[in-house]
Amino acid sequence: MSQFLVKDGVKNQIRKGEKLVTTHCCYCGMQCGMHIRVNEKTNKVVGVEPRYDWVLTRGKMCPKGVTAYQTIDHPDRIKRPLIKKNGKFIESSWEEALDLIQSKFLGLQNQYGKDSIGVYGGVSMTNEKCYLVGKYARVGLGTRYIDYNGRYCMSSAAGGFNKTLGMDRGSTLPWTELEHTDCFFMAGSNTAECHPTSIQWFWKAKDKGAKLIVADPRETATARVADVHLDLLPGTDSALANGIMHLLIEHDYVDHGYIASRCNNYAELKEMTAKFTPAYTSEITGVSEEKLIKAAHIFGQSPRSVVMFARGAEQQTKGVDNVSLYTSMALLRGQIGKFASGVATFTGQGNGQGGREHGQKADALPGYRKIANPKDREYIAKVWGIEEKEMPQEGVSAYEMFHLMEAKKIRALHVICSNPVVSSPNINYVQKALESLDFLVVNDFFLSETAELADVVLPAVTWAEDEGTTTNIEGRVIRIRKVVEPLGESKPDWEIMQLIAERMGKGEFFPYKEPREIFDELRIASKGGKADYYGITYEKIDDQEGVFWPVPEENHLGTPYVFTERFATEDGKANLAVCDWKEPGEVTNSNYPLWLTTGRVVFHYLSGNQTRRVGFLMEKCPEPFVEIHPELAGEYGIADGERVKLSTPRGVMELPAKITKAIRKDTLFVPYHWGKEMSANQLTSPALDPFSRMPEFKVCAVKLEKLSNRR
Amino acid sequence: MNKIMYLEFERCIGCRACQAACRECGDHDAKERNYVDYIDFTESRQTFPMICMQCKDPACARVCPANAIQITEEGVVLSAMEEKCIGCRNCTFGCPFGIPKFDFEKNKMYKCDMCYDRTREGISPMCASVCPSDAIRFIDFDEMQELRRRRVQMNLIEGKKPMEGNKWEYVPEFFGVYSDS
Repeated sequence: MSQFLVKDGVKNQIRKGEKLVTTHCCYCGMQCGMHIRVNEKTNKVVGVEPRYDWVLTRGKMCPKGVTAYQTIDHPDRIKRPLIKKNGKFIESSWEEALDLIQSKFLGLQNQYGKDSIGVYGGVSMTNEKCYLVGKYARVGLGTRYIDYNGRYCMSSAAGGFNKTLGMDRGSTLPWTELEHTDCFFMAGSNTAECHPTSIQWFWKAKDKGAKLIVADPRETATARVADVHLDLLPGTDSALANGIMHLLIEHDYVDHGYIASRCNNYAELKEMTAKFTPAYTSEITGVSEEKLIKAAHIFGQSPRSVVMFARGAEQQTKGVDNVSLYTSMALLRGQIGKFASGVATFTGQGNGQGGREHGQKADALPGYRKIANPKDREYIAKVWGIEEKEMPQEGVSAYEMFHLMEAKKIRALHVICSNPVVSSPNINYVQKALESLDFLVVNDFFLSETAELADVVLPAVTWAEDEGTTTNIEGRVIRIRKVVEPLGESKPDWEIMQLIAERMGKGEFFPYKEPREIFDELRIASKGGKADYYGITYEKIDDQEGVFWPVPEENHLGTPYVFTERFATEDGKANLAVCDWKEPGEVTNSNYPLWLTTGRVVFHYLSGNQTRRVGFLMEKCPEPFVEIHPELAGEYGIADGERVKLSTPRGVMELPAKITKAIRKDTLFVPYHWGKEMSANQLTSPALDPFSRMPEFKVCAVKLEKLSNRR
Repeated sequence: MNKIMYLEFERCIGCRACQAACRECGDHDAKERNYVDYIDFTESRQTFPMICMQCKDPACARVCPANAIQITEEGVVLSAMEEKCIGCRNCTFGCPFGIPKFDFEKNKMYKCDMCYDRTREGISPMCASVCPSDAIRFIDFDEMQELRRRRVQMNLIEGKKPMEGNKWEYVPEFFGVYSDS
């Protein structure tokens, strides 16, 4: 079968001696379509060609996507297993590395019990791998302690969606329809930088007169084009959403028929939002009453609207509340389950959607099953061929795993596809926790900051050296193709897990020869669950340009819209959110008088382990900076480009100032893509959402100081 | 070539994908030939892309003493010919748009050639292909005309002219090359 898919009439440039392989980008949840150029003689990746006919992104790419191929054959790639001896990494054979892992893992488990090993996964990898991480931890290692970096990314969205709608699919509609939407209400998302190729749909809609309302403490590239920019104080989303709902009710923009037939809690919501008058909301959020009223009228009068949010609203101690409240705004307008309208979260990681569905989370089993539910345990135990009582119980969330490492409950950790010592909050503590481990194994293809701390680093492959599926921002399952053979002795993560499982005496449960076999098992494991992949095949994905889950039957075509008839709650009705506003976990005070919020820049992805090695991206953005409003800079006597000091109770960092009016006067912004002394996460707060256990990256109190004697 | 490079500056989101993509073009030697600049970062994040205008009577070619800048039959103004360019940099001073770049190591000028190896086959140049916001487009003449008429229509409906000193509506309207105001 051809590895180059193209529709009739679409022209691509195919150079002499080259072939194109059709796939998707490795970075964010947009999963932009692309063709990768391969030299037919050398079988090396030489570049990228736009995939003009991919339905969601139409050839468009951001600078990360354009340069993604450069990580495949990169000189920094780890090609052989590394074992740390006397503080230095020594290249070794797979045999030696696996021997060491086997003796350490078995030794620790014999002495301290099965749960002394933890697994820390990630979702920048295929569904096949994400699924297998869950099985590897529970069956291969037999440990309860597994969680993943999606805890920092999607868990509040998941929590909010589950509470209100009964199911967590990041988008209730296909995004190719967004051009027909009349109004977007976007909270805590700088989509122009974080999901750049989504912007084409917002522009298409705007060209037809659609309105855009953006809630963000910064006037981001997205907020700049908004009709109303709600420049709220970090951590006040729940007040804002309550305030908007107060106005929707006051001006009777509520879809009463929809509310009566499809939603619970309307009376309670009405009561709760009663106090959120524009004056009260404005007092909490810092957004002027005029803007609140203007936004509510635009949103309320739009026949078709989509409420969207991202980490800005989710990475808070009220993340689940925020998501539930924003979702309720869409429900009040009767929008969910209809054409070109609904609710969506911007999935940050490539497979942030699929990766959270199939049991990488402490409390989850494949298909959004629950490890605490006896029926779910029994079903998955059967699929995996183990006894139900062998299935470990629920573990703890990602950040809480570090507490257990410090307490010596978790003594060894296997990190797969993640870089927690950069991406976690309060990393000075996280680093100490990782250093207190007896044994750390990291799979990666570059030596990340976390891998530097490891005892054994196993060389994984990049996304282009393995095949499989991912689930994009819309809930569309798509296909990632293998472009080239693995570099050096590197192996795909699924094979690495399989090898370790064999060493742990569990080889019989991991009999796979290729990812397709894992996918077939995942189809069965997810069957009957909320995220049902049973009817998805690689062939169907190619034929249909991706398949939207759930797909409960083999001849089912997929579900582009969810909740058209009923919600996935027990009574089929959505639960409107009744949540009051609460203060963030940390508030400003006389020592730390300013607000700090963090986020991304367009040139880097997550912890930067990949993008910080790409020439173009580093030229454009080599180091972190702090954005400061000129009025605040004036008070502190800080000039543009001057190095300043930021401190919180957890850490200190120095970095250059970037002065712009496109941020609130009381708020500072630092991008988080760097490690060690350049990491914004030295400063961030580990306060957790009580429900989703997501840390509050987006809000903490900070002190700004001028470095008067130094340059 | 019946296609038009169409710029709408205000759509630019400053992602610089066009520059990353420019480096990917076969004849571009991994050096970008286009620009994305902030209008004034202290005021706003508004950026705008700039590419070669492919002038009818290009100043760069006119001031070139070595006749190194060729113009194709379709009107594409090519980068300096390696064997002819004497490195005098006249073109960089002559261009009213500040487009030609100069490679001091190789002592030669290089500039946007509209990805001639692609566009002569009717395939969109790299910058326009990847631009997520359609700030740079490679479209038919008729499509361009329609877009220009639409701009007038949208303006009548929306009244989107920026108000001076109003930060919230700070959008440099009709900054574009194909502007009618």
